[in-house]
Amino acid sequence: MGSTAYLIAAIVGLTLVTIATRSSFFMLPARIELPGNVERALRYAPACALTAIITQGVLARNHQPYVSVHNYEMWAIVAAALVFAKTRNMIAMIVVGMAVFTVLRLSF
Amino acid sequence: MAPLSVAIAVWGLVTGVAMVNSGLSITVAIVMTLTVFAGSAQLAVLPLLATSAPLPIVWVTALLVNLRFVIFAAASRKSFVMLPWQQRMLAGYLNGDLGFALFSRRFADDPERGNPVQWGYFYGGAVVNWAVWMGSSIVGILLGGLAPTDWGLELGAYLALLAVLIPMVHRLPVVAGVLVTGLIAVATVNFPLRLGLLLAVLAGVGVAVGVESRRPDGQSHGAVAMAADIADQGEVA
Repeated sequence: MGSTAYLIAAIVGLTLVTIATRSSFFMLPARIELPGNVERALRYAPACALTAIITQGVLARNHQPYVSVHNYEMWAIVAAALVFAKTRNMIAMIVVGMAVFTVLRLSF
Repeated sequence: MAPLSVAIAVWGLVTGVAMVNSGLSITVAIVMTLTVFAGSAQLAVLPLLATSAPLPIVWVTALLVNLRFVIFAAASRKSFVMLPWQQRMLAGYLNGDLGFALFSRRFADDPERGNPVQWGYFYGGAVVNWAVWMGSSIVGILLGGLAPTDWGLELGAYLALLAVLIPMVHRLPVVAGVLVTGLIAVATVNFPLRLGLLLAVLAGVGVAVGVESRRPDGQSHGAVAMAADIADQGEVA
């Protein structure tokens, strides 16, 4: 974890990002509209960014890809994704994901 | 609103626990939650903060995750455009996933845009959302500090992000984009300054837009439906 100054700078920037994105078109003059092709790209960016964060976090270790039967977090995420895709129940998904991880961690 | 409040509370609790388990101090985590007020962006940058990634990478990652709010703002501006700028900025700041989904569904067929009934509905939902979110994340932050690190509770951050991601992935263009992003993200995880992350997102967005332009039936179904997808997680929680 970085220094306090680093974290404060990070938080200030993140707050500005929230305001800039959420208030964006509320603050702009009405004549400025969101062009269709820009909207298309914007629509896919969040899903791709979330995917990149999750895969780099779960399928890598020590800056190297880690796709292995011994990667317990990977199995937990796979199980959780199946549960959520089926039920759309966030609580069930988190319980199943954590349970799979914990059982594997304690068993092997 | 009650089932949604449960979903918001669970999501806030998970976010709070994950923030502390990734290494943030309780004070920093509380300051972050009170100011940033964007759960998915907060969770997404945790692995970056934990490894002291360069600040521009942290900010751009949050920006990418938050770009959906630009679409929401563009879609709901007509109801707020007549207000003074301070109120527009506040309404925007409060216009998160669930708030936007509820507001835009409630008034989708209302020909009049921007009246006291609509603003009352918006701010009523926003205040409940804000209070439940802040309360539950602070409880999560305080509880997270009590749990041993080998319980793997930082995994909760990825599980919570998965709950935002899955409802977004329902059509071929986004499926293609997400697969390409995942492959490139893992393959480039050793790139310096976490630049592989940005490369993977750019490639994924490019592929998704490319696939969409080839398949007219893969066309978007708009900002309102996108927000409704995200909010659907609350109706069965």
